[in-house]
Parts: sequence; C-alpha cells; structure tokens
Amino acid sequence: MQLNPCAKHKLIRDAVRNFAETELAPIAAEIDRSATFPREVIGKMRPLNYFGLQVPREYGGAALDSISAAIVVEEISRVCAAIGLCVTVHNGVAVYPILQFASPEQKKQYLSKLASGEFIGAFSLTEANAGSDSASVETTAVQRNGGYCLNGTKIFVTNGGVCDLALIFALTGSDPGKLQSSVFIVESNSVGFLRGELEDLCGMRANPVSSLFLEDCFVPEKNLLGKIGDGMKIGLATLDNGRIGVAAQALGIAQGAFEAAVKYAKERQQFKKPIASLQTVQNYIADMATKIAAARLLVYRACSVKDAGMPFGCEASMAKLYCSTVASEVTSLAVQIHGGYGYSKEYDVERYFRDAKVTEIYEGTSEIQRMVIARAVLSKLIF
Amino acid sequence: MMLKLVVCIKQIPKVAELPWDEKTGTLKRDLAAGMMNPACKHALEAALQIKEQFPAEITVITMGPPAAEEVLREALALGADEAILISDRMLAGSDTFATSLVIKEAIRKQCPEFDLILCGAYTADSETAQVGPQLAEELDLPAAAYVEKIEIEGRTLRVRRLVDNFRETLEMEFPALVTVSMENHKPRYTSLAGLEKSFHANDLMVLDARVLNLTDSSIEAQGSRTKVRKVFLRKAQKGNILMQGTASMVVTEFLDQYQRKIGTVIGKSIEAEKFDEEK
Repeated sequence: MQLNPCAKHKLIRDAVRNFAETELAPIAAEIDRSATFPREVIGKMRPLNYFGLQVPREYGGAALDSISAAIVVEEISRVCAAIGLCVTVHNGVAVYPILQFASPEQKKQYLSKLASGEFIGAFSLTEANAGSDSASVETTAVQRNGGYCLNGTKIFVTNGGVCDLALIFALTGSDPGKLQSSVFIVESNSVGFLRGELEDLCGMRANPVSSLFLEDCFVPEKNLLGKIGDGMKIGLATLDNGRIGVAAQALGIAQGAFEAAVKYAKERQQFKKPIASLQTVQNYIADMATKIAAARLLVYRACSVKDAGMPFGCEASMAKLYCSTVASEVTSLAVQIHGGYGYSKEYDVERYFRDAKVTEIYEGTSEIQRMVIARAVLSKLIF
Repeated sequence: MMLKLVVCIKQIPKVAELPWDEKTGTLKRDLAAGMMNPACKHALEAALQIKEQFPAEITVITMGPPAAEEVLREALALGADEAILISDRMLAGSDTFATSLVIKEAIRKQCPEFDLILCGAYTADSETAQVGPQLAEELDLPAAAYVEKIEIEGRTLRVRRLVDNFRETLEMEFPALVTVSMENHKPRYTSLAGLEKSFHANDLMVLDARVLNLTDSSIEAQGSRTKVRKVFLRKAQKGNILMQGTASMVVTEFLDQYQRKIGTVIGKSIEAEKFDEEK
C-alpha cells in the first residue's frame, strides 16, 4: 500500500496538539508566572518519546524524521514555548551530537537514558566572554589521572537547573599557544559540577536556565566526545541542527499568538461590530497568516535537506532567521490586536510576546544567521 | 486462551474545522481534516485495557475513503495488532444499515473467531448510535449499548451501562458486542514511537466490495434504506432567566436545573456525587 507521509505528519501534529492542549495549556500561564519547571507533565512526556524524538528504536527512541521532530517542537511551543525549549534543546543540541559523534560505548551508556527522558540534557558553550564568538571559550580541561579536570563557568544554560547531563565545551592542550576546543559529556552528579541560581528572564520562564560552575570537576577519559580538538566541528554541526529546532519553536509561538489574535478579533466588539471586520485588522491577520505559512515552509525545507543527508547549515540559518523575525512580528501584532488587554497577564499573548524575543537571540543571533547565510551564498563559485 | 477483540472505528470530520454551507445545508466533509470519532477512541481504549489484563489480539476495522487509513494507523500506534480498511466507491453514501451489513461481511471473512466486538456508542458527526446494535442483530449476538464498565471472567462478560437515569449490570457469554460510552475508558495519549512505527507496519489490510462478495445488486437489495433529505442548523433560543434569593439558594437552584447541561457542554459530569454501585 502506498504510504502517505503527510498522513503521518498530520497524526503526529494531532497527537502532540492533544497532549499539549490537555496537559500544558491549563498550566502554561501559571508556570510562566512562577517560573516553575512542571516535573509532573515532564513525567508524562517521558513514555510518549518526547525526549527521544530522533533516537533510533534500539535505544528506545521514536526514530522520527526531521519534519516530524520539528512538528513536535512547533506544537508544544504553540501552547508553552518554555517546554518546547526544554524538548528542542534536549533533542536538538544534547542528544543530536551524541548520536552524531559519540563512540559506540558512549551511545550505549547514554542514549537510552536520554531517549527515555531519565536524563535531561543540556549544551554548554556560552560563557561570559564567549557568546557569538564561540571560539573564545575560557573553560579549561587539564589531563589528569586517566581523565580531565574541568574548570570554568558556563552561563545561560537552557535546562541547566534540571539537567542530568551536560555537554561542556572546554579548552585542552598544554601549550598556551595551541589550545584546542573539545567537548566532554559531564554527568550532573560529578564532583565539582555545581549549578548557579536560576536566571530571572523576560520570557521562557518555566525553563530552568542557569549557570553551571565547574570547580576541579573530574571527567573520565571515556567521556570525551569525539577527539581532542573536535570542539569547533561538533559545536557548529550541533548549532546547525539546533537552529532548526529554534525555528520550529519560533514558528509554534507565532502560530499560537496568531490563533489567539484571530479568536479575539472575531469576539471583540468595537463600533458595534467585531474588530475582525475592520480592514486594518484584516490586513494584520492576512500578513500574519502569510508570514507564518512562509516560515513553516522554510523549516520543513531545512528538515528535508537534512534528511536527504546534505549540508543544511544555510537552510537552517534561513529558517531560524525568518521564523524568529516572524515570531516577534506576529506576537507584537497579536498584542496590538488585543489592545490594552493584550498588555495584561489576563491574556496569553503577552507571554507569547515575551517568549518570542529570545528566538532572535539564542542559538545564534539574527546577526550571526545573516553572516552564515551570506557566507554560504558568497562562497558559491557561480552566481 | 487468546481473546480476539474487534474494534469498529470511524473517521469523522474535525468538528471545530468543519466547513458548513448554510445555504445548501450540506457539510463539506471532503474539505475537513479527519479524526477518530471520540467514542470509538473510548471503545479502543476499553479493548486496550482488556489486552492489559488478558492475552488478547485487537483487530480494528473501519469503512471509509482511503484517507480513513489515518485512524487505523492511529489505532495501531495505540496498540491494536491488525487493521482492516473497507474502502470502495460503491459503498459511498451507505447508511447505518448498509454499513453494518458491510462490516458484518468483513468480520465474517477476516475474523470469524472473534470473542468480543467493541464499537463507540455513537459518532459525533451523525449521532445515530445505530451501527453497533444493528451489527449485533446481523451477527445474532448478545449485546449491550452505552457500556461504561467491562469485566471478563472466563467466557462471561459483565458490563455496566448507563441508561436514562439508572445504571444496570448485564452478563452475557462470548461472543458478544458492546458499544462503549465516553463515561470511562479515557483514551491514552499516542506515543510518538508508536505513530512512527505504525507507518512502517504491514498489518493494514484493504478490502473492497468485490472481496466481500458484495455486488451492485446485493447492495441495492439490502443496502441503504434511509436518505438524508436535509440538514439544518438549529437556531439558538436565547432568553433570560432571573433567579432570586440568597446566594446559596440561587447557586443550588442553578446547579439543580443546569448541571447536566453544563456537564454536556464541558464534556464531563459536574454532579456533586456520582452514583456508583461500589460505594
């Protein structure tokens, strides 16, 4: 029988939407306000494979194609972006590099635990002096007694407050002139692994974003991901993938705010008629709908290129740049359509508005995305 | 002993997204996205719960256009073992009577050794609640409709059902048929791995009218006996009711009069104490 991939994507969207609307919608505003990580709902997500989206079945994952995985992130973020963030960071930048670069032993040790959600993962590149300039990492890893001793401070670590495993980028090598960046798989129960206070952020407040302190944190040799000096390679490949996830997340935020705005525009009466009958509001709605549709195509295009096994960095950057821009525009218009009520915590759109902004910043700012896209375009021989 | 369960499910249009032409009084079904009828999901859940207690095999059957494959894939993802799609243009427009005849033929052909057939009590798109009971008649089975609780002991099936304002418990021997209400058997969430896997499964069979030995004339002779002449939108009757008295009196009176209606709208009972024979 002919299998229709669209039917699968539709069923996955329906299943995730049903879960998100039943479990997350009732608490999304409250966990945002109180900055609470909803452990109970996370517990329900574990057996449904939300933490092993693209992990092969042999490790207990769902083995989804990339469009399906993007749909999952999109649909969760449509209701609760902070949990969409937890899922996309875990799957996109913690599990993915292990799938791509880990040794068979490392995969055996960690993939099942990550796929089941027993371990929540984090990715720790950013430091006080290393943001967009990711080569300026200052955390060090010094070889000692069959392992490495890590020292340094990582900041703005998504899932930092709850992660069981973090990928830590650190400098290795004894010659100060030839330091190389490498990646270590560090379990949170390691001695010398400490978490900072949770960040008090503008949006994504239900995600426990924190600093991580490594104070003579010992990591056994076998926990080196890839080879010494692979840091840049692993980091860039991982960020390419993570950008598809953030694009999907931004898309979900835009979609959620858009639906709220359309509903409100139909209900809200001014001048004795629904404001949806006013041409200016209709123009807003038309622009929002068109931009969201275009954004969605860019996400799925990046996914298709990735699943075809081709380099997808430029496509991922385009999707991330456009989706995050659209998310900010659409959430801003959604607040506008709600008028004064949109500025109140009584309605969800102000949360969407706050959540959208950071999608233009993390996993590479919009400025960095433009740099990546321009480089890809200009490096082509014929244009 | 392996229990053989058959669950009949239906794909219906998503009510919230259903385009509706008020002038012609028709539903533009082909434009709406499909979903598994909610009561059918409860019936499948009841079967899955039986499978958790006893060795059992679940076959899901649906009749519909090729796109109805979706609800079968979903059922496989949730834990059904086999799926049968009855699809044939000749069967388009079948009424409940014709539908039950076709499903009967499919069951006789593909799973004649069944122990229990489970159907949703009614569909959200047409609400006739007829296919299950008609199928029981056609197959000459003991049956109970609107079942909210199922117990199995050997070959005996004990079911509790809600009828009007009382509950009754019935016993019958396998093979039997039940239609499941939405009172209990809250459907489980679909796992992502299950969905992914269900699209690689080869356990979906497609049957057409010829395979079921249904011919033009046999369908004409026994087929649809009813015809939908017109569908129209019920006009909302608005009116104001003023309740007076102390707050507690007003609230009590309000709940007395309207809790059932509110329960229907929000999809769950808000009655203070649900009657339960075990209590």
